[in-house]
Amino acid sequence: MDTFIQLTVNGLTLGSVYALIALGYTMVYGILKLLNFAHGDVFMVGAFIGFGMLQLLGGPSDPVLSIYLVLVLVTLSAMAGCAMLGVAIERFAYRPLRDAPRIAPLISALGVSFFLAYSMQLMFGAQFRDYDTFAMANGDLFFKGIDIGNVKVSLIRIIVIVAAFVLMLVLWLLVTRTKTGKAMRATSIDREAAAMMGIDIDRVIVFAFVLGSALAGAAGVMFALRAPVSVTVGFLAGLKGFTAAVIGGIGSIPGAMAGGLLLGFAEAYTQGYITTRWSDLVVFAILIGFMLFRPQGLFGKPDIQKV
Amino acid sequence: MKGRAGLALSLAVLVAAALASTAGAGSSATQATAASQATSCKGTIKLAIITPLTGDAGFLGQEQLSWAKLAAKRLGPQLGLKVQLVAGDQQLDNALAASLVQKYLADQSVMAVLGPATSGAAIATTDTLFAAKMASVNMSATNTTLTKGADKKGSPAFFRVVPDDSVQGPTDARYMVNELKAKKVVLVDVREPYTVGLANSTQATLRKLGATTIRESVSIDQSDFSSLVTKIPGDTDVVFFPTQQPAKAQTFAQQLIEQGKKAVVFSSDGAVSQDNFNVPGSYVSNFAGPVDQYKYNAPVIAAWKKDNPGDTLGPFGPPTYGAAQVALNAIKRACVKAKNGSITRNQVLQQVSKVRIKNWILGGSFRFSTKTHDPLNAKFTIFQIQKDGSYKVVN
Repeated sequence: MDTFIQLTVNGLTLGSVYALIALGYTMVYGILKLLNFAHGDVFMVGAFIGFGMLQLLGGPSDPVLSIYLVLVLVTLSAMAGCAMLGVAIERFAYRPLRDAPRIAPLISALGVSFFLAYSMQLMFGAQFRDYDTFAMANGDLFFKGIDIGNVKVSLIRIIVIVAAFVLMLVLWLLVTRTKTGKAMRATSIDREAAAMMGIDIDRVIVFAFVLGSALAGAAGVMFALRAPVSVTVGFLAGLKGFTAAVIGGIGSIPGAMAGGLLLGFAEAYTQGYITTRWSDLVVFAILIGFMLFRPQGLFGKPDIQKV
Repeated sequence: MKGRAGLALSLAVLVAAALASTAGAGSSATQATAASQATSCKGTIKLAIITPLTGDAGFLGQEQLSWAKLAAKRLGPQLGLKVQLVAGDQQLDNALAASLVQKYLADQSVMAVLGPATSGAAIATTDTLFAAKMASVNMSATNTTLTKGADKKGSPAFFRVVPDDSVQGPTDARYMVNELKAKKVVLVDVREPYTVGLANSTQATLRKLGATTIRESVSIDQSDFSSLVTKIPGDTDVVFFPTQQPAKAQTFAQQLIEQGKKAVVFSSDGAVSQDNFNVPGSYVSNFAGPVDQYKYNAPVIAAWKKDNPGDTLGPFGPPTYGAAQVALNAIKRACVKAKNGSITRNQVLQQVSKVRIKNWILGGSFRFSTKTHDPLNAKFTIFQIQKDGSYKVVN
């Protein structure tokens, strides 16, 4: 039972991060019908911005403010930085291709992905960056926490999980309860009709990039709080986020959340109960299974083509 | 019309096939010519280094490059050679290493290669290098099959200045059982030749010594090991985790502590980095002890620090200096023996195994074994990480 609880906690931590990444994919796809393959690299940039801010605030072991405040500032800076990056990517790489055939922005997205990874490498080098969470608050983030049976859930895990769920809740409220959210939903249903109703489509698209990229920035920080990051970390994380979005039903916000969590649990249980060798195999087998038997994903609607 | 189109297509296929076969022949012909082409000892002689300068192991390659540059700068004039170092970035990509080898083979002034730095890339390129009679002196590829065994993969052109995993694995295993009194060890490889080979040799010795072993494996891209850590039995004494990414050994050790496991992490030469792997109580083994323990190294260390202010003395650089020293001495020996003042790659290759160096940077004196192209009597050093993160030699 202890193993099951621990693996569930592991899956929840990992799944929360995947869900945040998946949300970015799904929002952009929902509105633009574009697979933004640079999204994983925005996640990586977020982790690096957070690392820079952490150093600026005195580093993990000797912060100039309370470590909890530092973590908030680190996350906010990564979100702000990535939001700006998202706007720049939309403006320069996607907007000029908005009316081009769908393959063009897809190729542009891949180009942006490589551009981000290699320019970050040129600027900051290839080595791994470690937030050294272990050194924060004299190890309290690792050694303190809550006990569930014999399993200790460390404070850092609780922070990551709670923060991810708060962000998802905020996004949900934003999309379902605000005027901008209504405009986003309208644009995702029918862009031309939304424009005729007076919705500023450009503004809505930019807003989707701002939200998605900010969530990717937050995900980058949350991932980096538990694992070292390098400029290449965005590729696999992006792929997992994309998989989560597809499993949940690309374009569906609750789907992205559910897909991320499902993926996190699948990885954790496979590694814990079967073998670590199979974890990626199982994850991508689930993707293939969905593509074959439920291509619309968990929460997506079938794409009916009218003849 | 259809017939004409079919004919045109057939012709195009034939022409393409002919061109492809000519290209292949040209390539091997070029290699053979390059092997016999002579380069003047008075002209500029190029030494190539192939190492990951970017990517996940970029830190390793940058350190190796800095020491290779120093070797070219210091040893070239000492040996009376005009040496130019050329560097290629293999990342952790064997195909990239293979294309770099082709590039250096095409340049007839390249007389020897340092690397490729990783075992997988060394295995992938060794036959091509031998076909062109280009000596490759390696500074960090420790996979045993490169020089030994029934399935030996290294060609006669492959030499290395560091001991291999058949030395490292048993050294580590004996230390775990004899000194740490380990009864149960979990071994985790990263699914690439270096870590798989090392985990295999360590596991074999552990079994011989009566320890219980459990084998696990993670993807090279994985950096959160929580679920694997959950799976590790509570009575495990040691987790042997060879890696080329010290930050991952650090994460593994921290996640063991987080989940209250008593096992300590024991890692390998690829994880030696006081900046990135410093969880107290963990262990690492390395093909070189601290080079500053040998007084005769003081001038070379001072010169390196002058060229690389603020950088920490790491484990990968000094063997690269040693490899360059071996390669340049072989070139010098070939030049001394040359009657017309010019040398070929093959002449350099013939001299590598004859190189002897006193005051070897890694300690003692250096020569190759007469049976393999490995260094004679080389040892692995085991370090324990102290409370302040420093490394203390314990064997």
